[in-house]
Amino acid sequence: MASESEKRPQVGPTQCVGPNYRSESQKPIATVSTEVEHDNVVILPQTPQLIALLTMIRDKNTERADFIFYSNRIIRLLVEEGLNHLPVVEHTVTTPIGSTYAGLMFQGKICGVSIMRAGEAMEQGLRDCCRSVRIGKILIQRDEETAKPKLFYDKLPEDIANRWVLLLDPMFATGGSAIMAVEVLKSRGVPEERILFLNLIASPEGIRNFSSKFPRLRVVTAFVDQGLDEKNYIIPGLGDFGDRFYTM
Amino acid sequence: MNTGIGSPTIVADNPADTIAKRVHYSPPWADLSIIGIAGSSGSGKSTLSQAIVSKLNLPWVVILSMDSYYKPLNAEASRKAFLNEYDFDSPEAIDFDALVDTLRDLKAGKRAEIPVYSFEKHQRMKETTSIYSPHVLVLEGIFALYDPRVMDLMDMRIYCEADADTCLSRRILRDVKDRGRTVDGCIKQWFGFVKPNYEKYVVPQRNHADIIVPRGIENRVAMTMVTQYIERKLLEKSTHHRAALKSLEVGYETEPLSERAIILKETPQLKSMTTLIQDIDTSSEDFIFYFDRLSCLLIEQALNNVHFKELTVETPAGNKYCGLTPKGEVSAVIILRGGATFEAGLRRVIPDCRTGRLLIQSNIRTGEPELHYLKLPKDINNHDSVLLLDAQMASGGSALMAVQVLVDHGVPQDRIVFATFSAGRVGVHRLTKVFPEITVVIGNMVSDFQDRWVEKRYFRC
Repeated sequence: MASESEKRPQVGPTQCVGPNYRSESQKPIATVSTEVEHDNVVILPQTPQLIALLTMIRDKNTERADFIFYSNRIIRLLVEEGLNHLPVVEHTVTTPIGSTYAGLMFQGKICGVSIMRAGEAMEQGLRDCCRSVRIGKILIQRDEETAKPKLFYDKLPEDIANRWVLLLDPMFATGGSAIMAVEVLKSRGVPEERILFLNLIASPEGIRNFSSKFPRLRVVTAFVDQGLDEKNYIIPGLGDFGDRFYTM
Repeated sequence: MNTGIGSPTIVADNPADTIAKRVHYSPPWADLSIIGIAGSSGSGKSTLSQAIVSKLNLPWVVILSMDSYYKPLNAEASRKAFLNEYDFDSPEAIDFDALVDTLRDLKAGKRAEIPVYSFEKHQRMKETTSIYSPHVLVLEGIFALYDPRVMDLMDMRIYCEADADTCLSRRILRDVKDRGRTVDGCIKQWFGFVKPNYEKYVVPQRNHADIIVPRGIENRVAMTMVTQYIERKLLEKSTHHRAALKSLEVGYETEPLSERAIILKETPQLKSMTTLIQDIDTSSEDFIFYFDRLSCLLIEQALNNVHFKELTVETPAGNKYCGLTPKGEVSAVIILRGGATFEAGLRRVIPDCRTGRLLIQSNIRTGEPELHYLKLPKDINNHDSVLLLDAQMASGGSALMAVQVLVDHGVPQDRIVFATFSAGRVGVHRLTKVFPEITVVIGNMVSDFQDRWVEKRYFRC
């Protein structure tokens, strides 16, 4: 193992992280998300707090309870950011002090779709922001014979074609299962531009695959890592999200 | 070495000049008024002080008894004390140095720890009681008008007088009932120490008094006089405080907001949530849900302003990641009642966050912020960062007071992050002028001087 990791020096971009009013010397240095060129990829602002949360869940010594808590905090931020891409209309209201406020109102129906099993870990974060949201599920597993992803099960809202879809899967490596999930959604009549794919950690390879296949679909991620290893695991990644969240 | 008194260039560069230009906030407790009440043992000093304080019934008018400042006794003195042979009624028994320190601290607006003296053990107890932020302090004790350093700090000096028989009988009753002494012991002390000292040290204090009050609380005229004097002092302080707050408004229209005032980015979601929160037709259920959701974002944003340090971790696959971790503990202080609306959001982000609370209310008549209650974590001065939470900031009066309280408790300005749902320019301007190193995180900017409606909607009363 040691020789493998030596083969591939893991140097992501580093920078001073912290609020603008602090000078560079006052800010600690950390590895931040790799930049990507595609317009439809939204990376959360690389704030010190987000980096600290990611540090916590990447650490192999983090206990399961903490892993769940800190991933949930990132997921909430992801969902909040994802929701920003939904349409709104102008809406003026009267405030408790009797003045008017020219505000906005949410527009359009949404639903969540989680790619089982790890994607289900993101459902709570979605519910924390959108009470009683409909959530569909898709089970995709690697076919033993062909080594390709295969759809095993799906259960989606009937009227999904009229909804915006927040597709949930925490780790976005090659994007094999996510591509299949998007194809399922498209076959049910959901247009690409109404799908938002939320994930915690993405790889440049996955993003590249996705944007050539689905140029109008938006990806919202907390962090783009350096790349994939020979087994297609994200580097540095955080291990198996589903295992760390559910069973470890 | 700076020798350039005559040289204009050096004078202009003197950092003291810049410091002098800094805007200063003076809380109402910065200039404490002290009223001294002296008189023979049993002359009714403490009864009089208590009557005055309970008549005013304000949390910032307090009594300090000089009994707390008896010197702790060594073994020999202690043995004598138990035999009623120690002279408690001589100025020698009082730790005037400690008393002067306390009074000077309080006068400077700082928190002071008051020793607790045990009459049963003739020792200072380990614990202390603390006094913070009184506007008026009544200092009572047989030698309240004895030490010139103490007298210099006083605004009014009172001497209580009573008939010697009355004093003796009151003293016996008190010492036997409250201080665990015997009647014999009391009488022995009276003739051995109290009476001779009375003539030698207590009576001469009459000459230092502004007022001499015979018959203690039965003397209604004197009571009213003193109470009215204190009321006038309080009014002066309040007027001064309000004028000082007002003077901090200068320049807010022209000057840009401090770079440490961070307004949440107005994303479509944030604006939609703000709209729902502001709409009077939103149900309470929705109001609370969206306020909690927004407060979560506000707390997350506030936490970007605490201090972090570098930390490299290893992932389960054995890869290294150069990340960050908070430098130390982050605690919170809630300004009641408004700040309590953030509690749900705070607990979602830091479930076990240690939380201090302070109750600041605006006086209904004058609008002046008043500090009614204060409970902070003991080691708050060691916390890496303190989030100070309030739902709204209008004039900034309570925010200023709250930050001053934290600063008085040893929290450096650059460790304070003040977070609020909405603020007006005047408030932000005042707060950042006085405390330029604190960070202010704001959900949305609103017109100046908005009434506090968020807490009413959130708590539904």
